Amino acid sequence: MNKIFSLALGILAAIGGFVDIGDLVFNVSAGATFGYQLLWVVVIGVVGIITYSEMCGRVAAVSGKAVFDVVRERMGFRVGLFALISAQVVNLMTLTAEVGGVAICLQLLVGLPYRWLIVIAGIALAIVVWVTSFDWIERIFGYGGLCLLVFAVAAFKLHPVWGAVGHGFVPHLDTKSPLLYAYFTVGLLGAAMTPYEVYFYSSGVVEEQWGPKDLGLNKANAIIGYALGGFLSFALMIVGGSLFLDKGLEPGFLGSIALGTEVPLGQIGLLLGIVGILFAVGGAAIDTLFSGAYNMAQFLGWEWGRYRHPSGAPRFTLTWIVLLVLALGAVLTGVDPVQLTEYAVIFSAVALPLTYIPILLVANDRTYMREYRNGRVANTVGLIYVAVIMVIAVSAIPLMILTNVGQN
Amino acid sequence: MTDTLDLGLNVLDHQLLDRDERRCGKVDDLALEGGPGEELVVTAILSGPDVWRRRSRFLGRLAAWIGRGGRHRVPWEEVEMVGPHVQLKRAAKELGLGAGDDRLRPFFERIPGSDR
Amino acid sequence: MRTLTSLLGHEVETESGRRIGRCHDLRGEIRGSRLVVTGLVVGIRGVAEHFGLGGRGSKPTHVPWDAVVKIDGERFVVRDGTELE
Repeated sequence: MNKIFSLALGILAAIGGFVDIGDLVFNVSAGATFGYQLLWVVVIGVVGIITYSEMCGRVAAVSGKAVFDVVRERMGFRVGLFALISAQVVNLMTLTAEVGGVAICLQLLVGLPYRWLIVIAGIALAIVVWVTSFDWIERIFGYGGLCLLVFAVAAFKLHPVWGAVGHGFVPHLDTKSPLLYAYFTVGLLGAAMTPYEVYFYSSGVVEEQWGPKDLGLNKANAIIGYALGGFLSFALMIVGGSLFLDKGLEPGFLGSIALGTEVPLGQIGLLLGIVGILFAVGGAAIDTLFSGAYNMAQFLGWEWGRYRHPSGAPRFTLTWIVLLVLALGAVLTGVDPVQLTEYAVIFSAVALPLTYIPILLVANDRTYMREYRNGRVANTVGLIYVAVIMVIAVSAIPLMILTNVGQN
Repeated sequence: MTDTLDLGLNVLDHQLLDRDERRCGKVDDLALEGGPGEELVVTAILSGPDVWRRRSRFLGRLAAWIGRGGRHRVPWEEVEMVGPHVQLKRAAKELGLGAGDDRLRPFFERIPGSDR
Repeated sequence: MRTLTSLLGHEVETESGRRIGRCHDLRGEIRGSRLVVTGLVVGIRGVAEHFGLGGRGSKPTHVPWDAVVKIDGERFVVRDGTELE
């Protein structure tokens, strides 16, 4: 019973934890630009993240190796270092966007000046991470993020044309701007398969000392958590489509995303929407913060772990402090978090192959994975996604330039 | 694990763990002695920023410079076991490993809550 | 002193100049507290093995260390008549 209970808790936290600023921005603006046409892309993205997060969780549980251990072992020092640097740059951009997102939500809630709130957000995050145990961090932000379910209610209340919604799950191209369509496809896939999710998850599996007996839990976590997270993504896109499409509106501001809940549900809806975004983005900020420190420590062989007290893993601790300070500095320059999110997601798409290919390689290694190595299904799906990821990685930046970051 | 292994695949770039399971660096390279016509034997694990210089021309040197040099040589006899990680027989400190973490620790110990 | 990374990637040729492939890894054997090199992992299947994908089938991938006559710059020179095992 206890196990089922803890699984349920984990899943609830995962739903709240799946959606971050990248998903918010790309799903709502994809809806605003193309209506429900791109819903099928979310399905592809979710199956991809389920496949690779199950795989990296399994590798971590059986071999005790987290993602950047694996990247270095398989890609070697030179390519691995390149992968580390690109991952860290993307991670820092994402972190900056998430911290900015937290400040924006706080501003919507309390109305103090934005710059003040950036500093408050930074200090609050540092204190939460320093004094709260990780189980509680996960619970607080996971459950808080569940407020995002209000978007699902809003999606129903906006009475979308369900036939059109259903049609969106069938890949089709009905637009005069195929480039923009391709840009949003890449962005939605990048947002769903964000690499920091696998860095964070695999490191967590090593820290919790999962072993082969926990592989069922690993699979359940990946499938149920991300599938329900995908459900939230659908809701966001449907809200974006019902509310902004054909109105000439662009959700270029995080606050207008929350408007999606105010129109059908009033003040309560707006409040829940903002609180949901606050916790989702805050939780994602903590995940990215730690991912950056995990990657660094795993590549260089330092002691690491969020369950270790800060003085138990000093260089790991120093790394996340430095990352947080850098991100705060970047937000204070006044960079627009929503715009930055678009860049972060597109650049992360470029970094995807260097993350996912080593995982696929190790998942096939007999020496470390024994009878738990990839079966035919995982390999077939894994290889298909390597192909998908390669296409995304090559086309992401050209598409970004050609569409002027999704503007035309 | 069998007693046959591939040095590049199963040892190089793997995590070093000391006697107390403390993570204390990576296998950045291996030193070998001997040559054609005689035995070729692994004599030591090389670890530390100085070793990175030879691993990657530009980035490696840059990283070595940032990491402020340092190169440790752990004799192969100190290896307890090669599994998913490379396990050593003694504590990191005795082998000169993990010094970066040790130098930084006192600063964090002064901050309240650092040992929760 | 030799280092592992300075030996990986070398060409493997016979004394009379026939190219066998590239050395992707060194195979070793743990004997007591010693780790002794027993051969070179060579060729296309050697690449696969280097990435941990080997183990299936029994195609030859390796040249025994005894067959190596000299290391000449970036090249392993092996005895004439040496084939992959």
